[in-house]
Amino acid sequence: MTASAAAEGAPRPVVAGTSEWRIVLGRLRRKRLAMISLVIISVIYGAGILAPLLAPYPPTQTNLDRPVEGPSRDHLLGTDRLGRDELSRAMYASRTTLIVTTAVVLSGGLFIGNTLGLLAGYRGGWVDTLIMRVGDVFSSLPSLVMLILINATLGPRVIGWTRWVEGHTPFDGLVASGFPSYMLVFSALSLFFWVGTARVIRAQVLQLRERDYIMAAESLGASPRRVILQHLMPNVSFLIILSLSATLGGIAGSEIVLTWFGVGVQPPAASFGAMLFEGSGTRTFQASPHLLLVPGVIVTLLLFAFALLGDALNDAIRGR
Amino acid sequence: MTTQTAPSAGSSKSGETLVKISGLKMYFPVTSGLFIQRKIADVRAVDGLDFEVRRGETLGLVGESGCGKSTTGRAVLQLYRPTAGKINFDGTELTELKGAALRRFRRRMQMIFQDPYSSLNPRMSVGQIIGEPMAIHGLYKGAERTERVQYIMQAIGLNPLFVKRYPHEFSGGQRQRIGIGRALAVEPDFIACDEPVSALDVSIQAQVINLLEDLQSQFSLTYLFIAHDLAVVKHISDRVAVMYLGKMMELADSIELYENPLHPYTKALLSAVPITDPEVERKRERIILTGDVPSPLRPPPGCVFNTRCPIAVDECRERVPEWREAVPNHWIACHRV
Repeated sequence: MTASAAAEGAPRPVVAGTSEWRIVLGRLRRKRLAMISLVIISVIYGAGILAPLLAPYPPTQTNLDRPVEGPSRDHLLGTDRLGRDELSRAMYASRTTLIVTTAVVLSGGLFIGNTLGLLAGYRGGWVDTLIMRVGDVFSSLPSLVMLILINATLGPRVIGWTRWVEGHTPFDGLVASGFPSYMLVFSALSLFFWVGTARVIRAQVLQLRERDYIMAAESLGASPRRVILQHLMPNVSFLIILSLSATLGGIAGSEIVLTWFGVGVQPPAASFGAMLFEGSGTRTFQASPHLLLVPGVIVTLLLFAFALLGDALNDAIRGR
Repeated sequence: MTTQTAPSAGSSKSGETLVKISGLKMYFPVTSGLFIQRKIADVRAVDGLDFEVRRGETLGLVGESGCGKSTTGRAVLQLYRPTAGKINFDGTELTELKGAALRRFRRRMQMIFQDPYSSLNPRMSVGQIIGEPMAIHGLYKGAERTERVQYIMQAIGLNPLFVKRYPHEFSGGQRQRIGIGRALAVEPDFIACDEPVSALDVSIQAQVINLLEDLQSQFSLTYLFIAHDLAVVKHISDRVAVMYLGKMMELADSIELYENPLHPYTKALLSAVPITDPEVERKRERIILTGDVPSPLRPPPGCVFNTRCPIAVDECRERVPEWREAVPNHWIACHRV
């Protein structure tokens, strides 16, 4: 670059282009609701990450002398039936939500769905048929029942393996944090959830495949791998981000529902699902409304924030 | 930088055959059935073509929409695998190449697309688009590649300072130049131009046509120029081929074809070209064809043009006319000439 600029006499800077990503982010930044949502999500996630440092009390420390108290100077958000600090419980519940949503990304739910969708859409033919029919089979099974079955049969074994890992590596507290069971639950969930993502991505790829730039890449001699990674993937990346924001909200919600039913995170670990369950009931609510209000407000804010952020992203991507 | 011209393959001189196409057929199957796909018919997009493209020339390929021009271009480049026929590219039989071998060979043959909007990946900057062919074929590493990209941008008339810009920041004509630059990047011998100016404004068309001509002499390129605009084709082509319903009707030197058309279809086509002089325009004979182009699903027996031909006789409806050299260098498929 400098060579030709120097040849012309006066060195001029390269005119930087604006990529579509930057345009989308610019649009997103001007949306107030999206920014508020981002802040809410960051605060709740931040509280989860920093819970061990910030929480005023250990989440499981009971104090039977002071159960079901309202907010006070000692306990800013009051205490529950066992006298545990409600604020600390909420922070550790945020941590649960954080782990759950991270586990989905790590267990490959998004990865599997996107890869298979790209492959099915681009290759077509028997590859497409095979992937989509297998997907049909998985989506026809009742995921909740399968989830409980898988968790019940494989759970103890996975915890055993994790103990072995803890014993042979510097990693500690994996079992105590409940991470292995989350991984198991969400690997199992991924088995069922990839289908939706794969279908969306495949449909988009089918449309993109007809664009001339795909044929142009092929006529340049690009390998299928290159066509998928360089030409298809960047052009469905918006969809991937969208499906991410939709999935994370859904996953966070489903953990809360599962725990509310008693088949999710087991006590004494903190979860918004368990807190909501403890606070529900007309009499409890009349006597001590904070038991329902604390987790209720946080969960509502979080799920709303995910939904609004996804919505704003969608608008920004479509040029609004 | 002028030393970076395309290395021509061996001791080649212009005029000899570069691409020889024989018996080219491209059928697209029409299937039906929910579980078991059964073929019920074929769309005969291209139905038996024999022609050659000579080194250094521009062969124009004209015809109405749907006559198989673009399909021919894509089949020659093996973007569609032909149903039948041979394509000999400078001694290599393309229909026998597969996978990585074919991809490597693509360096020698490139394509320019009609639509400057959908033919560029919106997520790649100009530098990435023009650099990609070099990346694919492992040419020019690092700083050399950057330099080469700039050299090409200058050659196609784009400011090299725009390397980091994205396609949506350019006009249609500029985008078409980027597409041309991408095709040039690997120093091909042969470029199939698939209606490269049809989507552009008339004023921009001239610029791009002139650019294509300049590049042809600068890089000793051979063009297969597909278009439906007869005036554009006349201007740029050395020889012109006329297609109708998947078959070739006539092929001759550009001047010969425009001044002395033999085939009734070519005559009708040329009579439709508007003439700017109103005096001549009023006096000339206009041949208006009746009816529509038949479906390529069920082309008529005999000569495919017989349903609309003003001089068709019984023989035309029964026997397929052979592709013959009626006059030296003037090929035609018609019983009546």
